[in-house]
Amino acid sequence: MNQLRNTKPIPWQRACHECDLLLTGGLAPPGQKLVCPRCRCTLHRNSNHSVYYTIALSLTGLLLFIPSASLPLLTFSLFSFGADNTLLNGVNSLYKAGFIWLASLVLFCSVLAPLGKFLLLLFICCGSTWKFLDRAVAFSVRWYQHIKEWGMLDVYMLGILVALIKLRDLGKMDVEPGLYCFGAMMLVANLSSLSFDQNAIWQRLALRRDLRRAAL
Amino acid sequence: MSAPQKALKKGMTSCLSCHQLIILPARGGRCRCPRCGASVYGRIDGSLMLTWALTITGALLLLPANILPIMSVIYLGAGEPSTIISGVMQLYNSGMWGIALIVFVASIAVPVMKLLGLILLLVQIQLRLHFVPTQAMKIYRVVSGIGRWSLLDLFMISILAALVDMGFIAQVAAGPGSTAFASVVVVTMLAARSFDPRLIWDAHDGDLYATAVEPETAHRSAAENG
Repeated sequence: MNQLRNTKPIPWQRACHECDLLLTGGLAPPGQKLVCPRCRCTLHRNSNHSVYYTIALSLTGLLLFIPSASLPLLTFSLFSFGADNTLLNGVNSLYKAGFIWLASLVLFCSVLAPLGKFLLLLFICCGSTWKFLDRAVAFSVRWYQHIKEWGMLDVYMLGILVALIKLRDLGKMDVEPGLYCFGAMMLVANLSSLSFDQNAIWQRLALRRDLRRAAL
Repeated sequence: MSAPQKALKKGMTSCLSCHQLIILPARGGRCRCPRCGASVYGRIDGSLMLTWALTITGALLLLPANILPIMSVIYLGAGEPSTIISGVMQLYNSGMWGIALIVFVASIAVPVMKLLGLILLLVQIQLRLHFVPTQAMKIYRVVSGIGRWSLLDLFMISILAALVDMGFIAQVAAGPGSTAFASVVVVTMLAARSFDPRLIWDAHDGDLYATAVEPETAHRSAAENG
């Protein structure tokens, strides 16, 4: 495990992915980020202990996913009738009303994409330790890039807030414990995508390849 | 002033997925990134055309999204369907202007701004207008960053539909406009994805569409032009 840690920065050449400027330089110092001098896009954000933090955060997220998907988030009651809202409940009622496209979009953005993000991050960070998973890890990083912007827990949270205020004068609205788990999951999801640094993963893979080559 | 060193002129490009520098095949076209396996091309294939198509689709879908009702609240058997704008007005009239502002920004201002921003960028590149590229990049970043927030209204409808489902007494049902609105959001998000910001800099440097230039030919033409 200790061999997998690289102490000296590797000099590399790269092109900015937003303006195609050719650049030469090292990696960003820990805890800071590297910015393209021409278009100011972030080239590399070097978080401390990126891989371990991401493992911890994605595990936390997966654990928080269980209560926030199964417990009700809000309850609404009117004349002793009541109904509650879980993550899947809304999707289900849209599906039953015939809005299949809308239901699948909401399902994807609020349940599948965040879940997929946590699973992929966990797999990428844990799997980068083993040689036989190299191809699978590379594949997952690519899919993580695709799925990244479709997880919209924070937008869903704002939707809950709007719904809460909108229905306040129609009946009685209650906040359920599921909502606290959901809020925590939202926070963890944002933190994990901040702490994830795919360069650290690529470095691990490259370093292992070099070690293997040296051993031959 | 010497022209900035661009990767494409050297026959290289960076992988959009893992940001590794890759040598493009000499005949042009795409190849696979050796590190992450994503397909790599000098510039996204048909980026301008695809973005135009998706932007125009989004603009057309915006009409039914705003005209058709997106949801109806049925209370004690009576209730009228509401469009996006009337939903905002309802919130405003009941004194919750803060929430009304959030909903207005998310579901009316953001889609319109996104489409306008994309059209501005596309027109600028197509007509080679002299924009300051750093400002164009700001527009691009705002457009691709705010896209997700317009799904707010749809999430709210899904929450309300689950919460208020009591048969005759009260019910919230989604309307046909919501499908159109969902399509607007998805289409504009895809449009922002298919737009290649490197084209802004190409247009600025004056070598737009000079794709797949082999290093040798580039040097030769530079030598011929003195």
